[in-house]
Amino acid sequence: MSASQSAVRSRAEAVKVSRTFDWLILFTLFFVVLGGYHIHYMLTGGDWDFWTDWKDRRLWVTVAPIVSITFPAAVQACLWYRYRLPFGAVVCILGLLLGEWVNRYLNFWGWTYFPVNFCFPSNLMPGAIVLDVILMLSGSLTVTAVVGGLAYGLLFYPGNWPVIAPLHVPVEYNGMMMTLADLQGYHYVRTGTPEYIRMVEKGTLRTFGKDVAPVSAFFSGFVSIIIYFLWHFFGKWFAQTTFVNSENF
Amino acid sequence: MKILKDKVAKLSFVALLLTMTAAMFYTPTASAHGEKSQAAFMRMRTIHWFDLNWSKDEVPVNDTMTLTGKFYVFQGWPETVDKPEVSFLNVGIPGPVFIRAGSWIGGQLVPRSVSLELGETYEFKVLLKARRPGDWHVHAMMNVKGGGPIIGPGKWVTITGSMSDFTNPITTLTGETIDLETYNLSNTYFWHGLWYAIGLLWLAYWARKPMFVPRSIAVEAGKADTLISGTDKKVALGFGVGVIAIVAMSMASTNDKFPITTPLQAGLLRGMKTIEMPVATVKVKIEDATYRVPGRAMQMTMTITNNGDSPVRLGEFNTAGVRFLDPEVSVDESGYPDDLLAEEGLTVSDNSPLAPGQSKTVQVTASDAAWEVYRLADLIYDPDSRFAGLLFFYDAAGNRQMITIDAPLIPSFI
Repeated sequence: MSASQSAVRSRAEAVKVSRTFDWLILFTLFFVVLGGYHIHYMLTGGDWDFWTDWKDRRLWVTVAPIVSITFPAAVQACLWYRYRLPFGAVVCILGLLLGEWVNRYLNFWGWTYFPVNFCFPSNLMPGAIVLDVILMLSGSLTVTAVVGGLAYGLLFYPGNWPVIAPLHVPVEYNGMMMTLADLQGYHYVRTGTPEYIRMVEKGTLRTFGKDVAPVSAFFSGFVSIIIYFLWHFFGKWFAQTTFVNSENF
Repeated sequence: MKILKDKVAKLSFVALLLTMTAAMFYTPTASAHGEKSQAAFMRMRTIHWFDLNWSKDEVPVNDTMTLTGKFYVFQGWPETVDKPEVSFLNVGIPGPVFIRAGSWIGGQLVPRSVSLELGETYEFKVLLKARRPGDWHVHAMMNVKGGGPIIGPGKWVTITGSMSDFTNPITTLTGETIDLETYNLSNTYFWHGLWYAIGLLWLAYWARKPMFVPRSIAVEAGKADTLISGTDKKVALGFGVGVIAIVAMSMASTNDKFPITTPLQAGLLRGMKTIEMPVATVKVKIEDATYRVPGRAMQMTMTITNNGDSPVRLGEFNTAGVRFLDPEVSVDESGYPDDLLAEEGLTVSDNSPLAPGQSKTVQVTASDAAWEVYRLADLIYDPDSRFAGLLFFYDAAGNRQMITIDAPLIPSFI
């Protein structure tokens, strides 16, 4: 068989090979994204995602969507423009969450015995699905960045609230009031993460009374729009095919 | 010859694999906290821990013990370390083997960071509840913002029992009693499981059809728009609306279930209560100090003046948690860790009682293997070769005076 001949001998065989490629590529994509995205998110989101006593209504809400919309934007660009596949954001979050859960369960709990109810990851899935849906329905980078990016930021806090709210129930402890999440951070000793490292409730957003979470979410959404544009172009650049003129060699 | 070479190569490869496999099975427990690696000047010239007491050597799971004592915030705090204006009283243990059930400075609960004043002495207490069985090194510890963790003396404590018996009951301000060890766990698993399943459904919808090769061909052929059908759009719309509906409904039901929630609590505690130490009537002037490397001994020439009304003797030199005692004057009865205690490590050229109003110059030698074991001798490699510590003088009635010293140190290599 020469190099110019087809490797398959029938249409049925071609379909079979194509599907095999599908699963191989999807499997590889999933785990490559899992690895890269996980490292990226741990380095940029880090403690905000590790501990419940960092998951506040100001900075966690602001930081987590901004630093996590990166890979979804880039993978969306690749899968949409090359294949018209609208699951780039979801496949990223599926990979990230699997990696995070493996890490939290085996390392945080299995190795160092921090309870899982103290170190579970943030839920990023609602925003990811909406991001994919908007890209598919609009087919537009601009609409996805503006509407999807904003929605990604806005959906983060309410998407996590059912898990976080029980830990924000107040408790009186030795004469001081704190939330159960604060108490977890106090009880479960972290020698390398002293209380002052926590970046929570900082800032000058004090004119909205207790309703700062929506304001933080809007701000996060706006910045997510910009980050989406940036990383979308990274994805497009990464996915391009460049042919080199052989006469140059 | 080639066969012989191949065999040697093969056997070498097998030996390498065997060595690597054997190395994997050697996994000794890492129990240290790096206390010996921390720069000596950090331990000698920042926080001076003294009068430490670990209430128990062995604790069953769910039982409590206390770590109590005092710490002096050194007046001559090094310039290379940020001042302890934002600090956190911690405890150096390998993860949450105990839970910190309470910690107090000067009687005030300190779950948050505190501001400490240079030159002041504070009393502290940490209440620990045993959680995970094993032998654990329990250290006093102060985290200082811009300075890092400043670890104090540690003692081995054994936790017995089973971790599965550990409970952490807490009563909330809404009247509910929960076990913080497992609280909210099934709820967390449920919501994460549900959203992961929805994400998988979205992926499965697209993965059930040919994905990469035929779609790539179609896109390259300019037929990209034909790849999204009307059904796809309806399904996508369903997912989008469904997601927003689930988020809205789950948020509303959560607010109904937990109508009272508060934000995370944070802030800096100032004005911590200090201890009024007895006014020192003894004055000490360090004339010179050398560290003799071969002898593992520090020698000081000091002039002591007694301005009090009773004779005093030097009983102890304490630096970086290592206590050098003159057994004729001071004996430890607190169960202080052996490796940090040089019971006969302090020698004074003339330690006869110094009468009131008198002054004398003496040679004081603090010698023990702890200088090497705790790497305090590494002070000579620090950027600011000064030493510091606490001297404790006693009168005949057992009254104690604490004097701080701070002076340059000259190493002697012969």
